[in-house]
Amino acid sequence: MRAVRRRGARRALAAGLALAAALACACTNNPYPEADSDEKVYYTSFVEAPRSLDPAVAYDTTAHAVTGNVYGTLLEYHYLKRPYELIPGLARRVPERRELPDGRIAYRFELRPDLLFHDDPCFELSGGEGARTRQVRAADVAYQLHRIADPAVNSPVVQKFSNIAGFRAFSKALAARREEEPEFGRRPLREQYRAVGPIDGVRVEDARTLEIVLSEPYPQILYWFAMPFTTPVPWEAVAYYDGEQGRDRFADHPVGTGPYRLVTYDKRLEIVLEKSPNWYGIRHPEWDAPGATYPSEGEPGDREAGHLRAASEPLPFIERIEFRREKESIPRFNKFLQGYYDVSGIIKESFDKVIQNDRLSADMKERGITLSKAVNPSIFYLGFNMTDEEVGAPAGERGRKLRQAMSLAVDTRDWLDVFLNGRGVPAQTPIPPGIFGYDEGYENPFRQYDPERAKALLEEAGYPGGVDPETGQPIELTFDTYQTSSEQRLRNQYFVNAWRRIGIDVEIAATSYNRFQEKVRDGSYQLFFWGWIADYPDPENFLFLLTSGMARSVSGGPNTANFQNDRYDRLFERMKTLPNGPERLEFIREMLALLERERPWIELFHREDYTLYHGWLSNVKPFGMSYPMLKYYDLDPAERRAMRRAWNEPVVWPLYALAGLGVMVVVPGVVTFLRERQ
Amino acid sequence: MLAYVLRRLAWGAVTVVGVLFFLFLVFFAVTDPDDIARRALGEKAMPEVIEQWKANHGYDKPLWPWQDLDDNLFFDHYSRMLTFQFGKSDSDNVPIRERLADGIGPSLALTLPLFAMSLLLGVTLSLFVAFFRETYIDRMGVFLAVLAMSISILLYIVGAQYLVAKVLRWFPISGFDSDPSVILRFLALPILVGLASRVGSDVRFYRTVFLEETNRDYVRTARAKGGGEARVMTRHVLRNALIPILTNVVLAIPFLFTGSLLLESFFGIPGLGSLMVESIQNNDFSTLRTLVYIGALLFVGGQIATDVSYALVDPRVRLG
Repeated sequence: MRAVRRRGARRALAAGLALAAALACACTNNPYPEADSDEKVYYTSFVEAPRSLDPAVAYDTTAHAVTGNVYGTLLEYHYLKRPYELIPGLARRVPERRELPDGRIAYRFELRPDLLFHDDPCFELSGGEGARTRQVRAADVAYQLHRIADPAVNSPVVQKFSNIAGFRAFSKALAARREEEPEFGRRPLREQYRAVGPIDGVRVEDARTLEIVLSEPYPQILYWFAMPFTTPVPWEAVAYYDGEQGRDRFADHPVGTGPYRLVTYDKRLEIVLEKSPNWYGIRHPEWDAPGATYPSEGEPGDREAGHLRAASEPLPFIERIEFRREKESIPRFNKFLQGYYDVSGIIKESFDKVIQNDRLSADMKERGITLSKAVNPSIFYLGFNMTDEEVGAPAGERGRKLRQAMSLAVDTRDWLDVFLNGRGVPAQTPIPPGIFGYDEGYENPFRQYDPERAKALLEEAGYPGGVDPETGQPIELTFDTYQTSSEQRLRNQYFVNAWRRIGIDVEIAATSYNRFQEKVRDGSYQLFFWGWIADYPDPENFLFLLTSGMARSVSGGPNTANFQNDRYDRLFERMKTLPNGPERLEFIREMLALLERERPWIELFHREDYTLYHGWLSNVKPFGMSYPMLKYYDLDPAERRAMRRAWNEPVVWPLYALAGLGVMVVVPGVVTFLRERQ
Repeated sequence: MLAYVLRRLAWGAVTVVGVLFFLFLVFFAVTDPDDIARRALGEKAMPEVIEQWKANHGYDKPLWPWQDLDDNLFFDHYSRMLTFQFGKSDSDNVPIRERLADGIGPSLALTLPLFAMSLLLGVTLSLFVAFFRETYIDRMGVFLAVLAMSISILLYIVGAQYLVAKVLRWFPISGFDSDPSVILRFLALPILVGLASRVGSDVRFYRTVFLEETNRDYVRTARAKGGGEARVMTRHVLRNALIPILTNVVLAIPFLFTGSLLLESFFGIPGLGSLMVESIQNNDFSTLRTLVYIGALLFVGGQIATDVSYALVDPRVRLG
C-alpha cells in the first residue's frame, strides 16, 4: 500500500514538473516562431477580414492590402511624388488619350512582354498536366472588365466603367440571356461572355495590346487601371476555383501578377504573402521598370527625410508580409510597443502618452519610433438638403443667408481638438490637400468661425436673433443622423450647441440607417453629417459629389445635399475632361466660388492619419490613399530582434513571490489544524 | 423513461422553433436586408448594386408570409434551419459548414482544458476549504471566492493582458497558433483568465455542497468508524456530492462547442464564440442564425441529458 502511495506521489510530482516545464517553455510573449526573427518579415495587423479577394469585388482597405500586393495593375502611382502621378506598371507606358474618327476617345494599353501569373495548379486547365503558369495576355484584362460588367459578379464599381462603350449594353444583354435561357447561365463564364460580348469598347488588338473606347470623355478612367479592379485575371482561376469538390472559391484564392503571392489565407487568424519569383521585377531587373525599381526622385524634402536612400534599387525588399488578426485596439497597440508589429496607428487611450504638444513624446523617441502624418484625400462635411423649403434652394436668398450663418457658427478647429485629438485639417472647400485644385492659402469667408457675423447674416435673412418673425419662435431645424453611439451624439451635439449660440434651435433626430435612408429617399430631412474618401486623386472625384446627375433625389447618387445648379454642372462637365493646368484650375475656382456662396455643405475637415513606425523600418513615406506600397518598404531584422529581446525579457520574480506567499499563508493553518485534530 | 424523454424532446423542439422565431423577429426589427447588403458590399455601393446583391442572395423577398405566402424570408429561414441547409455567410459567401468546422477546433482547444481545469480547481479548492472549515483558511477562501466572483470578466481580461502579458511579459497579449509546439503559449493567458473568473463561484457553490454533506449522518458514521478526515472527504463526501456537480458539468458541456464569446474575441482565438460576435457585428444573418440554432439544439439536448443522467447516477431519482 505504501509503495502504491509513493508511486502516486511520484507521478503527481512528475506531472507537476512536466506542467511547470511546459509553462516555462510557454513563458514568452513572442507571438511568432523564433526562426522568423532573422528574416525580412513585415508584421502588420487587420481588424476585419476581407469579404472577398476577387479583384472585381474587393473594395475595403484590408482586401486592397492583399489584392494590391498580389494583383499587378497596368498603371501605378509614383511612390514619392506629390501631387500623385501615374507611372506604368504591367503596361509599358501610361496611355495617351486618342480621338477616334467617330469622335470617341480611346486609350491603348500595351502590356510588357514576358509577364507571368503566379504559379498555380489552375493552369492545368489550359496548359495540361503539370502546367503551373502562363503568359499574361491583353485578353486577361478584357476578361476582367467583362467580369466587372457581369451582374452576377456584383462588382461595387460597375458604374465607374459605364463610360466604356457598350459596357451597360453588355451587362443588360448578359442578364437577359441568362433569364431567358437558364441553361446558358450554367455554361463556363468565358463562353457566356463570348456569346453575348465582347463589350464594344474593350478591344483586344493582339496578345499584348488592349484598347479601351469611351462613349463619353472620362480621362479619370486611367486611375481605375491603377487599382486591382482592372488587373489581368486568368479565366482558368475563375473556372477552377469554383468552391466545388473541396476546391477554394476564387474570392479566397487569388492568382495574380503582383510582387507577392498569397501563401496563407485564414480570414480569422492570419494572411501571409510571400515574394513571388514570377513577378516581372524579379525576373527582369534589367528593365529598370518604374514599378519595379525604387524611385530616384521625389518631391522636395524627400532626400533630407531619407526617402531616397534606396534610389534605383530593385524591388521588393521584404521577403514576407504577415497580417495578423487583431480585433481589439489596445492589444494591437501594446504589441506594437513590444516590437511585434512594425507599424501602428495611435489609439485614443494612449494618445496623450504618445503625442505631446503635437509631437512624439520623449518616451516614444527613445524607443526609436517615428511619427508620420498624412492627410487623407477625404472630406467630411455637414450637408443641407437643398430641396428643403426652409434651408434649401426653395427658400431663396433667405435660405442662402441662413446656410451661410450656420456655416460661420461652426468652429472646426475646436471640434477637431475636442473629438479627434486635433487629427484633421479644417476644410475650406471639398478639395483636400494633395489634390489638384487645393489652394493652401485660400480661406473660405464662410468657413471662418465668426458667430457675430453669423448673427448679422441671420438678421439679414429676416431671422433677428434666430427668431422667425412669422411665428415669434426661434427657427427650428432637424439634424438627421443614423449614428446613435454616445460618442457620435456628443459630436453632433457640439454642432447643435454652436447653432443654438446664434439663436437657431436644432434638434437631433437619431434613427437607424434604414430610417435615415428612407428620410433621404423621401427628401424629409434638413441637415446631415457625411464623409467621402476618394477612389483616386483627382478633383473630379470630389466635385462630382455635388452635380445634379448624382443628386440623391434624382438618381440615388452620393449628392445627398441634392444640390442642383446648372452652371456648376456645366463647369464640371468641362473641368472633368481637361488635363491639370491653368485652364482646369480656372474652372475649379469658379465651381468652388459657387459652392462658397451657395453653401450646400459646411465643409468640416480632411482626415489626417498619424502613423507610428519602428526605427528598423526604412523607406516609409505615407501615401495617404489606401494603395499598398509595401514593395518599397525595407527593414533590418537584426535590429528588430535586438530591440524585441531588450523590451520583452520575462519578469519571473512575482511568480516565486506568489508561491512563497501562498505557502506562508496556508502552511501555518494546515499545521495548526492537523495538530488540533490529533 | 422513454415517454419522459419523448415529451422533453417535443418541448425542446417547440423551444428551438421559438428561439428561431425570436431571432428572426429581433434581427429584422433592428436591421433589414439593405443593411446586410451594405455591410457585405461597403458603404460606397450604389443602390443598383445593393439590389443586385439582394437578388443574388435571396434577400429580395418580402419578410413575412402575409406579404407573400409562397415566397418570403420567414418560411425560407425555417426551411433552411430545420433541414440543416445552413448555406453561405452573408458577409463573404463562405459556406457556413466550413466556418463551423474551422471554428470548432480553436473553441475546443480553449474550452476543454478550461472546463477540465476549472472543474478540478473548483472541486479541489472547495474540498480544501471545506476540509479546513471554520478556520481562517476557510474564511479567507470564502472571502477570496466572493471577491473573485464580484469582478467582471472584462476586468480580468484587460488586467491580465496588461499585467501578465505587458508588464510581466509571460505570454502573448493575444493571438492563436494551432501548432502543438506553441499553442500553449497562446492558450495560457485566456485559460488563466477563464479560471480566475470561474473559480470564485465554483468554490462557493461546491463548498456549500460539501459542507451540507459533511453534516450528514453517514459522514459521522464514517468518522466514528475511524476513517481519517481526508479519506472521509474524498471517499464519502465527494462521491455523495456528485449530483449537483454533475448538474453543473452536464449543463456546461454543450456550451464547450459554442466557444467563449468574450475570451475568444479579446484574445483573438478564431473559434465559434468570436464567430458569433463577428456575425452580429457584420449583420451576417445566415451565420448568426446557424450559431443560435446550434446553440439552442445543444442547450435543449444538454437539459435532457442532465435529467436522464440524474436517473442513471442516483437511483432515488425517477423520471416521469
